[in-house]
Amino acid sequence: MNRQDFAVDRMLSHTLKLGAYTALALVLAGLILQHFAAWGSKITVAGLLVLLATPALRIIVACFQFLHERDFKYALVSFGVLAIVVLAYVLGLQA
Amino acid sequence: MTIAAMLLLVVIGFLAGGFGALAGVGGGIIVTPLLAIYFGLPMHQAIGVTLLCVIATSTATSSQYVERHVTDVRLGMTLELATTVGALIAALVAHHVNRRTLAMLFVCFLLYSAVSMVKKAWNLRYEKTEEAVPDYTPQNYPVGLAASLLAGGFSGLLGIGGGPIKVPVMLLFMKVPLRVAAATSNFMIGVTAGTSAYIYWGRGNVRVDIAAPLVAGVFVGSLLGTRIAPKVREVHILMLLIAIASWLAAQMIYKLLTGGFQ
Repeated sequence: MNRQDFAVDRMLSHTLKLGAYTALALVLAGLILQHFAAWGSKITVAGLLVLLATPALRIIVACFQFLHERDFKYALVSFGVLAIVVLAYVLGLQA
Repeated sequence: MTIAAMLLLVVIGFLAGGFGALAGVGGGIIVTPLLAIYFGLPMHQAIGVTLLCVIATSTATSSQYVERHVTDVRLGMTLELATTVGALIAALVAHHVNRRTLAMLFVCFLLYSAVSMVKKAWNLRYEKTEEAVPDYTPQNYPVGLAASLLAGGFSGLLGIGGGPIKVPVMLLFMKVPLRVAAATSNFMIGVTAGTSAYIYWGRGNVRVDIAAPLVAGVFVGSLLGTRIAPKVREVHILMLLIAIASWLAAQMIYKLLTGGFQ
């Protein structure tokens, strides 16, 4: 494994941690707040939306990191996965 | 929802997330039947909620496995090309499959998972926990991609991660070491489940009141599980999961035979 592989790993683990802890904090805060105020449930939904955004976000981060490393093959692969995920998102909006 | 029900969901999420992190299976196969049997959720809603739990497990466990360089990100990304296509098609189809058929398919997958866990537990008797990852080059991409398409399809249809399909294929056909295969599968299921979750969410099949406490529990359980994983004997977790999966399968079969899941 070369040093560039480690860069991808580092970027992705930061992204995943950011997504995990943000979603967890929002959902927990929302779950508690919704017993005291009506808008608390909006924080809960925001937490779940962050959770739903994380898979797409990590593909975008990987895609940019591969581009940065001039690893065009895997940048293209990431872009392909992103295209399918975005298609699912668009179809989900219309469902 | 009462506070007691909410706390119960947090605990279920915690256990599912913990098992998912420790044994690589368990998140999906536990949550869906529990919601369908004991919380009275229609199958489609139970699956929609479980998909969010799968994303949470994948995000939490992968954040650590990727950091430890156990996950093969390039292999995962390549196979995701197939899992996401399978997940997208299956999520669109699932809407037109009736609840009893979904429940029957789920029972089949539950039993298959139980059998594959028995095999895994049996093999683990001989193996010691491998510390270093041996050198390897993934082989046989066509077989890997085909299996990933199938795993993605099951994920979109039943809300599970599809690990019991992908891990053996990566191990046997692609010649990827077990630890790498398990971590890479864990990495992929988040993106796979995310793809179908967008469809389920759009159709209103993700109930926020049920999903939120579960997801909170899953996050804490997975983050903790991944940390203590090296110190826990996987065989014991597997035996517990086999018992739980068999019990849930029996309950689902009983409910199917008595005309439930309408």
